[in-house]
Amino acid sequence: MDLSLLPQAIVSGVLASGLYALVSVGLALAIGVIGIVNFAHGEFFMVGAFLAYQLFVSFGFDPLLSLLFVAPALAVIGALIYLSSIRFVLRAPELNQMLLTFGIGIILQNLALLIWGGDPRTIANVPYRSLGFQVAGVSIGAVPLGSFVISLLLVAGLYWMLASTPLGRAMRAVAQNRIGAGLVGLEVDRVYLVAFALSALLAGLGGVMIGVIQSPTPTVGLGFTLKAFAIVVLAGLGNIRGIVGAALTVALAESLVATLVPNGDALRNMVFFAIIFVVLVWRSRRVA
Amino acid sequence: MKRIIATLVVALFAIAMAQGVTIGVLSPLTGGAAGTGQAQKAGFELALAEINAAGGVLGQPLKIIIEDTKADAATGVAAFEKLMTEDGVEFIAGGYSSGVTLALVESFRTFQPIVSWIGGAVSGVGIDGFDGIEELLGAEPWFFHVHPWDYQNTEASTAFMASTGVKSVALLHEDSAFGGPGAIAAAGLLQDAGMSVPLVEAFKSTLTGGTGDFRATIAKAAASGADALFWIGYDSDVVPLTSQIRELKYDPQYIFGAPPGWPSEFDAAPEAQCVTGLIGYLPNLPNAEAKTFLDAYVAMHGRAPDNYMAALAYAQLWSYADAINAAGTTDQDAVIAALQNGTFRSPMGAWSFKPSVIALHQGFGSEMWNVFQFQNGVREIVWPLARATAPLASCQ
Repeated sequence: MDLSLLPQAIVSGVLASGLYALVSVGLALAIGVIGIVNFAHGEFFMVGAFLAYQLFVSFGFDPLLSLLFVAPALAVIGALIYLSSIRFVLRAPELNQMLLTFGIGIILQNLALLIWGGDPRTIANVPYRSLGFQVAGVSIGAVPLGSFVISLLLVAGLYWMLASTPLGRAMRAVAQNRIGAGLVGLEVDRVYLVAFALSALLAGLGGVMIGVIQSPTPTVGLGFTLKAFAIVVLAGLGNIRGIVGAALTVALAESLVATLVPNGDALRNMVFFAIIFVVLVWRSRRVA
Repeated sequence: MKRIIATLVVALFAIAMAQGVTIGVLSPLTGGAAGTGQAQKAGFELALAEINAAGGVLGQPLKIIIEDTKADAATGVAAFEKLMTEDGVEFIAGGYSSGVTLALVESFRTFQPIVSWIGGAVSGVGIDGFDGIEELLGAEPWFFHVHPWDYQNTEASTAFMASTGVKSVALLHEDSAFGGPGAIAAAGLLQDAGMSVPLVEAFKSTLTGGTGDFRATIAKAAASGADALFWIGYDSDVVPLTSQIRELKYDPQYIFGAPPGWPSEFDAAPEAQCVTGLIGYLPNLPNAEAKTFLDAYVAMHGRAPDNYMAALAYAQLWSYADAINAAGTTDQDAVIAALQNGTFRSPMGAWSFKPSVIALHQGFGSEMWNVFQFQNGVREIVWPLARATAPLASCQ
């Protein structure tokens, strides 16, 4: 165990939590407001990553500029998916909902395979991807720092929207009592539509960041989807406020184990799910 | 009565011959290894078109049935059994992923078709307590292995490392059946060649559920003080790994990677500069077949191959066609003999099946490998020196 690497591990873990929070918060929104577990969420990241790649290849757009186009595009795609399929299963058994979103995910993956092929792609010229600077012997990467800041701003903006805007209040009302919200005149279906589109938009933003740090492939979203589900469970299903704390906990734990334990990087997923396991058992005992 | 039976036999034989030869292909067309599977498919399509344009096999057009393994063991076994029981093929081609291949061992033994298998490089040779593919299938007369075994990959990698003059190497590897045994073998060979290996560290690949944050592993490599970095992982690990090496200011003399392929457009990325890698096929190899293959591939697919698995698939299908034509029949013993004794065409030059440590029929060996280096957006061959198109440059 090399303790000289501890400061780097802490900084890397804190910065990684930003991206984890961003990829999880859209999923939490879909679960919390609409009550649907969206297994296609990872494919929204993938579409976001590929759209950023395509904008780079076709027009030379920097991924930061792509954010302005990809986010609304994903919102539209999310809205279309909601209108064409999701809304028909909202009252169906949960298994039907899961199968539907799982199927949507497979369709999106195979569409990507048809359009972009299976080879990992590269957004080749991202001048800040490898940029890092040293502070007191600790390296801080421009991309992790940027994605951390952007993620925090987006999550804070979402909190503010939910707490302080009529749309946010409508979402919270629908989430708490769908029938009651309808009775007092809220257009429940429209609120669901906006919430699902917003969830897809947030996934699209995460996807652009994933496209910068990784090679877009049809399955690029899988690793992040697993983490997003785990973070959402850790935060409490649908609890958007708990996402940042949950993301920070797991990202820090992962980074510490990866750095301080021999072959620790290979244990990342084990650490991640061990935390989830412990928290769920602890919660269930507390309830009992 | 005898005349009727003889006529029926002749008629059935004629019908069978008229149907032509069909080869069943197992390849990961979708899923995490789809890049490799699609490259194999593209290579098969080109070879198939050329074979049929040249008269086919036994005078009939050759057919292939490609089944998707998704690089998943259970899917691979089901796909193989479908080829055997529903499609009734007698020849199997394709092949990728050691995990899928290990899962297929018992099914191969049950049906015992001729299996010419590209991937699945984990031999098991020299690793205690682990039965690899060469150990399990190598002695079967119907099994032909095309891609070099892991120890042949490592021999080439180690010989390259030794040629650079570095004294110490940090070894990073992904944690599945691909990277783990390869790293153990590599560490031993590097040490045998007089280099120290201060770090052997596993990481979670993006292909197997990782999120591409390799900073912890890279920080350990930097702290090890090794002269060079040697990593074994997948195509999708290339961008995060190389960019984070720069981000953390890790500055080894050489960065050497051994993924099955390299991401599209990575050549143009600034992170690529000075990175070296092992590759089977490059268009600038100094043999005429390399250029001929490139031209035909571009004419058919509209782009150059960016994964050497396309060249291996092309070579594999041609070997089947040439062997069956040489045998003049699809009789298993005759085709095995023709595959055993033939010399075949490939974009890497002429090749044949020879015995390896255990296997009776091993196609390419360590001599297939080239080390290239990304130099200003071009993949220059830097090793072996006989094929070099540019001198090796240090990253420092």
